Amino acid sequence: MLTKLSNSKFLIPAMVALIILAAGTGFYISLKQSQNQLVQNNELRGLFWPNPKQIKNFSAKDHNGNAFELSNISGKWSFIFFGYTNCPDICPITMSVMANVYQHLANYYENIQIIFVTVDPERDTTEKLSSYISFFDQDFVGLSGEPTIENSLTRQIGIPYYYNMKKENNNYLVDHSASIFVIDPKTRLIAKLSPPHQPEKIIEQFKNIKRFIDEKD
Amino acid sequence: MKKINGLIFIFIIFLNASIVLAEDISGIDISHLWISEAPPTVSVLVAYVTLKNNTTKTASLVSVSSPLFSSIEIHRSIVKDEVASMERHLSLTIPAKSTIKLLPGDYHLMLFNPKTPLEIGDKPTLTFTFSNGVKILVKAQVKKRKYRKH
Ligand SMILES: [Cu+2]
Repeated sequence: MLTKLSNSKFLIPAMVALIILAAGTGFYISLKQSQNQLVQNNELRGLFWPNPKQIKNFSAKDHNGNAFELSNISGKWSFIFFGYTNCPDICPITMSVMANVYQHLANYYENIQIIFVTVDPERDTTEKLSSYISFFDQDFVGLSGEPTIENSLTRQIGIPYYYNMKKENNNYLVDHSASIFVIDPKTRLIAKLSPPHQPEKIIEQFKNIKRFIDEKD
Repeated sequence: MKKINGLIFIFIIFLNASIVLAEDISGIDISHLWISEAPPTVSVLVAYVTLKNNTTKTASLVSVSSPLFSSIEIHRSIVKDEVASMERHLSLTIPAKSTIKLLPGDYHLMLFNPKTPLEIGDKPTLTFTFSNGVKILVKAQVKKRKYRKH
């Protein structure tokens, strides 16, 4: 039931919560995370409920140089991953998984969108992003310039990233969130999918989350 | 490309008498060396490999090099508290009579700044140098990354 805790510092409160909950009727274990309740039960793991964060308007640029804002995610289920193109291992692994997920889900749903947001806007120009995105799937969206923009998805979702030795070295590495975030058609930050990522797991998690939201709304 | 590799190979052979080929007398087998196909614009590629130490002594990989890249580093990907990072390792120890596999999402070779983009079917040569001075030249295969179950 209790699978992976997002942060070890939650471990003790979570264990206390578990003991209290075990005595009661509840089967959710909720952890406080950026003002969201993160559901930890198997069916709806990763769901931010009952108070998902409403995403506010933002203005980014996509990999074709076009404006990308709130209206571009409204009415769609968006999967968002944050990374950088000079990351040769974890990022392409995740992108391959998402390509797999997308190829499956796009057969059943019309409003699925996969977004890659760079946390390294200095090196990841629009051109670089464009070639990177289309390598995985022509339908994917890449957003550049993001972390520096006010109200950007990176800031609104609260993505951690950290540059290692950037000043000394142009081959610098960037530590970054490995989670995939899901925004629902009402532009609410609805779920966080935790690594390690596997297509089957993500597809099942998504279907459960979508069913839950469709029933609520 | 092949021609250049061949020339460099012959050059290094003359340069260093301790050079040996992949199936060799050094007691270390290097296999499944592959580079993941990547978008042509990226500045960092990744290689994975299997290192088998048949000897009764610990072996230590201290460097990997190729004229095709500005530098090559041994890295390990780490995901901790849902944050992904990479740590650099200056050497890689292969205990006696054992095998170490560099696989996606774990240990890997970082290939910085390829001189030309690599394509499927390319077979660039990488030189593996061990702490005892042994150098082993291995041809890498450029392949499509396949999603694999853990
Ligand atoms: Cu690395």
